Amino acid sequence: MSGLDIGGSQLDASWFLILGGILFTLGAVGVLVRRNPLVILISIELMLNAVNLTLVTFARQLQNIEGQLFALMVMTVAAAEAVVGLAILVDIFRVRDLEDVDDLSELKG
Amino acid sequence: MTTLTSSQAISLLVLLFPAAGALLLAGRGWRLPRTFTVIVGPLAVWAAFICSVNLFLNKVNADFTYWTWIKSGAFEVPFNLLVDNLSIFMCLVITGVGGLIVTYSVGYMSHEDDPSYARFFTYMDVFIFSMLLLVLAGNFVFLIVGWAMVGLSSYLLIGFWYQRHSAVVAARKAFVMNVIGDIGMILGAFVLFVSYHATTYSGVFAGITGANGCDSSHLCVFVPANRDSSMLELAAFLLLVGAVAKSAQLPLHAWLPDAMEGPTPVSALIHAATMVTAGVYLIGRMHPIYDVAVYAHAAVAIIGAVTALFAATIAIVQTDIKRVLAYSTMSQIGYMFLAVGIGAYSAGFFHLLSHAFFKALLFMAAGNVIHSMHDEQDMRKYGGLWRQMRPTSISFLVGSLSLVGVIPFVGFFSKEQILGSAFSKPDDGLALAVWGVGFVTALVTGLYTGRMWWLAFAGTPSPQRPVEHPHEAPPVMLIPVGILAVLATVGGLIQTRALGFGPSQVSDFLASAVGKVGWEGGSSEVVVTFVTMVLAAALFLAARRMRPWSAALPWAQRLLEHKYYFDEIYAAVFVRPLDATAGLLLRDVEKPVIDGAVIETGALATAGAGGLSLTQSGYFRNYVLVFVGGALLAAAVVLVRANS
Amino acid sequence: MAIAIFFIAAVMAVAGGVGVISARQPMRSVLSLVVTMLALAVLFLLLDAQFVFVVQIIVYAGAVMVLFLFVIALLGPAREIAAGRLRFQPWLAGLFSLALLVLIWAMLQGIQYRQPESTDLTFFGTVQSIAIGLFTTYLYPFELTSILLLVAAIGAIYLSRRPSDDR
Repeated sequence: MSGLDIGGSQLDASWFLILGGILFTLGAVGVLVRRNPLVILISIELMLNAVNLTLVTFARQLQNIEGQLFALMVMTVAAAEAVVGLAILVDIFRVRDLEDVDDLSELKG
Repeated sequence: MTTLTSSQAISLLVLLFPAAGALLLAGRGWRLPRTFTVIVGPLAVWAAFICSVNLFLNKVNADFTYWTWIKSGAFEVPFNLLVDNLSIFMCLVITGVGGLIVTYSVGYMSHEDDPSYARFFTYMDVFIFSMLLLVLAGNFVFLIVGWAMVGLSSYLLIGFWYQRHSAVVAARKAFVMNVIGDIGMILGAFVLFVSYHATTYSGVFAGITGANGCDSSHLCVFVPANRDSSMLELAAFLLLVGAVAKSAQLPLHAWLPDAMEGPTPVSALIHAATMVTAGVYLIGRMHPIYDVAVYAHAAVAIIGAVTALFAATIAIVQTDIKRVLAYSTMSQIGYMFLAVGIGAYSAGFFHLLSHAFFKALLFMAAGNVIHSMHDEQDMRKYGGLWRQMRPTSISFLVGSLSLVGVIPFVGFFSKEQILGSAFSKPDDGLALAVWGVGFVTALVTGLYTGRMWWLAFAGTPSPQRPVEHPHEAPPVMLIPVGILAVLATVGGLIQTRALGFGPSQVSDFLASAVGKVGWEGGSSEVVVTFVTMVLAAALFLAARRMRPWSAALPWAQRLLEHKYYFDEIYAAVFVRPLDATAGLLLRDVEKPVIDGAVIETGALATAGAGGLSLTQSGYFRNYVLVFVGGALLAAAVVLVRANS
Repeated sequence: MAIAIFFIAAVMAVAGGVGVISARQPMRSVLSLVVTMLALAVLFLLLDAQFVFVVQIIVYAGAVMVLFLFVIALLGPAREIAAGRLRFQPWLAGLFSLALLVLIWAMLQGIQYRQPESTDLTFFGTVQSIAIGLFTTYLYPFELTSILLLVAAIGAIYLSRRPSDDR
């Protein structure tokens, strides 16, 4: 049942899902390890893309358009979130030259 | 609530007038002009007096229940007033003498500023209300309420001039000793409730007297001892503790002399005429109990007699005029206890009435003197007042002669009736013993009263006088004194049993409440009576030359001046150990354990929060780590549960 | 043929992902992400999601990534300092990532695929079918999303005001 008939060949849905999982993990690693705030935001975008891939895969496997609709919503929200996040970063950058997100530790304690 | 009969309403009004007076003065009095207080304060008491007279004239004799306050299983407490002859008698004394004293204090307290003036009359009205509640209550609960409120009023009034340290200490001492009595009272009421399952007098007395044809509130003096007499003895002794504390008898007497720190009208009203007589009232009201509990009954007489002599001897050496009168009160109440202790109830209450007259008279006349001497109370600094303050001196003389028991003043008739009743029971050893003590006390009474008179009023003015020409008191203070002097003079004529013949209005009136005791005396009693009077009067005159004799016995002088060292003994036995215990508890229990528990809980919370706050490292990447970790955990849980 | 396309696109996506997290300069991170997005767009097309494919390229790779590029250009190139302050972070991150991978693999093992709802693919993923879904069944979320975008726009304008504008 996981087989997908695409363009005449037989692909398997699980391949797409594994790919999505790998991309998601890569994004998570990026968020956890990198210290540049911009790179962190970009890694989050990567994770969101991976999720989109999973959604669209299931849409195709189940022949249900809702998966794609959901992916569109995710995309919209991701755009909004990127906008606001970048605005905040720009605000912070106006005050100080931020290179390391660990510098932002005033909320300590 | 059904509509009240007029007697029911009037009985309630007796209580409500002083209560209304107190509330009005407490709420508004200090803001309104002084005339308001002058009118409302005494008027509340006089209105209650008029209602009491109404009840007297209508010969009301009933147990009025207004509503049920508590009803919980077998424990039922109604708000009821027992209005019988004894209650009406007490109400007349309280409101009549009280009215005169409150009117007097309009003048005496006139030096106070407006708020204090209103405060004084508020407290006086509260006191009158509480005392009336005490004597009118028809069940033990309200008796205790009135009893405790009377103690409270006493505290408030003794400590009226609260800026004085000595006054505050005295008020506290009075209150603490009264509370000891309250505990006795309450425990006694508990014992009675447990035995008879009733809180009302009618309920309890019915249980005691049983169904032998005796009606509970009427003639039930002689009751055969029944199976409950040990419980009744216990209850009687416990109630006696309360009576002893309130009436300042041995051993709970030490508060009364100190209570003289209060204003003189307070001393007159509370510590002479009314509050201290509450103990006598209690014994009289509970006479069904005491008729059965013979040991407690005997204890009443013994305590009374001993206190009478004890207080009279101390009075000989006092220099403060109010203290002489305080010890005199203690002594005279001892006489009343003596009387009710041997079963001569109406004699005791007659003496209560006559004592109210002459003691209030003496205090108020002394108040006139103190007022005009600019608050000097040391008698040695007086002297020669007879010439300068004639009306007050005459009143004081009337009171003194009444106290000594000289015919025709009322004190003679009441005191000699008591002694006559005691003497007239030759086969009762106890009665004879207390008669002996009472006889000696009468002589000592003559001695100290005479000393007081000669020191203060006769002779030449002392060189240490604060005021050269004291002026007589204003009419508002003289008239009540005069009225009481007249009452003290002619009051005896309503009951001349001491002479063996003549009217006996008081005994007849009270007979329905405390039982009819026939006058068993004969001519020998009358002879003894006159002998007592003559000897006491002789000592009165002899007191003029007292000073040389007391110098001959310095150890006696010291003993009496230290009031038989009672205060020192109490301090050593009770006060200091308790203080030490309290200090110990404070240091070793309160601070480390109780305070410690609370503080440690706070410290624990703070430490916990401090520990937890370490997770708030401020580093974004830490937070993401925790976030991811949590998500992993949740996902793993879901996975495991989905597969199992 | 489709399989080949899949694998090429997959490899490119993963390469882009690795590039995102390992690039020293943020500009290179963004560009790597663009590569990943384009690869994903191809995969979307493979999965019969034509509309999503177009939107991915135009909106995501075209608008959002360009926004990122603009911001990076505005803020200037950044240099990452070598020594980090949190010493355990990389180790723990590695651990968690490994755990994540294991978890995902376990999840994939447990999937029970259902039967597809229909077999007719002619209208699947077309603009028409998306439109029907968005404007009928899911009208409410659609409208809310537009409000969300409005709010984000307002927020961004407010956040990026110069301090002197606050009076």
